[in-house]
Amino acid sequence: MCSDTVSYTGRRIELDALSAEAQLVERAQAQDETAFEQIMNLYADRLYSYILRMVGNSSDAEDLLQETFLRAYQGLPGFDGRASLSTWLYRIATNLCIDHQRRRARRVQTVSYFATEDDGGETSEWEFPDLQTPDPMQSVLNRELQQVVEHAIDLLSPKLRTVLLLYDVENLSYEEIACVLNIPIGTVKSRLNHARGQIQKHVEVYLRGESK
Amino acid sequence: MKCTRYERWLWDELEGRLSAVQTQELRSHLQACPRCQRQWEVVQATHQALRGLPRRHAPERIRQQVRAQIQQARAPKPVVAWWKRVALAPALGLIVAAAWWGWLASQSDAPLPPEVSTTQQHSENWVEIHEQLEVADWSPTPTPNYFITTGYTR
Ligand SMILES: [Zn+2]
Repeated sequence: MCSDTVSYTGRRIELDALSAEAQLVERAQAQDETAFEQIMNLYADRLYSYILRMVGNSSDAEDLLQETFLRAYQGLPGFDGRASLSTWLYRIATNLCIDHQRRRARRVQTVSYFATEDDGGETSEWEFPDLQTPDPMQSVLNRELQQVVEHAIDLLSPKLRTVLLLYDVENLSYEEIACVLNIPIGTVKSRLNHARGQIQKHVEVYLRGESK
Repeated sequence: MKCTRYERWLWDELEGRLSAVQTQELRSHLQACPRCQRQWEVVQATHQALRGLPRRHAPERIRQQVRAQIQQARAPKPVVAWWKRVALAPALGLIVAAAWWGWLASQSDAPLPPEVSTTQQHSENWVEIHEQLEVADWSPTPTPNYFITTGYTR
């Protein structure tokens, strides 16, 4: 699904950023330690936000981000630039999240035989809101709406959640998501429509409540 | 009937994917149809909320741990002095000989020893595995077959 060259038609990729990225990768591949450090600094927050929304709790998200970086470091010598660095990193992170969810699903299945009413099972630990750059103009209503949307994302199936987060939150293009997930672009679009439809239902209910 | 078509255009309109003619057609419909107008508001609010979701700050300790693990992996292995290697060689020879002799003896009529399950010894802890990775030929890059083999897609 990944093109042989980095997609310059991706709607939000800029050429300057791409060439800077390519230089950074080259330096990191040449064992320049500061280059890998820069890569981590560039992508830590992006990947962490994405992983956190994928798995729903900060402790697992921290472990998975650490693992993402370690795998990236190990894989750098083999990184050939066919995909952009960010696509490649999202791909590693996504694979780890899916693996994690699968393991967790198995564990929950096993545990549920013994679960008592008090357990409550596995719950997500969303901590709202934690705005990195607080916008004084952002109204309380907007924050409420964001919480509604975060909750709705949490309720999506992993397949739909992945596509929605990558496109609508992380700003990847259809082509890049197809590359990350190794699926056709048509599948990306249909999953995105489906996911948005489900989020919209929650927003609609919220807005209806607000207008009363 | 027509509404379904326009509903499909709402997200496209937000992302600038409609032609000028399509945009004009949609706008006219929205003015005439309260149901689609309502839907348009929902789509706009959803779009805005998704785009405005805050970035979360990755704790610095994660990068520190990565740095530490990389340093550990890069650290040179302690060099064994030549005289230790010389001393080790006959000892290893003795061990091999003893094992060989023991195997020959056991071949006579003794029952087979129980098989040791190697899978049990595999730790799921990635970090543990990676402490031994200096010598392993390991590809961390997800292969294109990943999703196929794990059945994630389709
Ligand atoms: Zn209509």
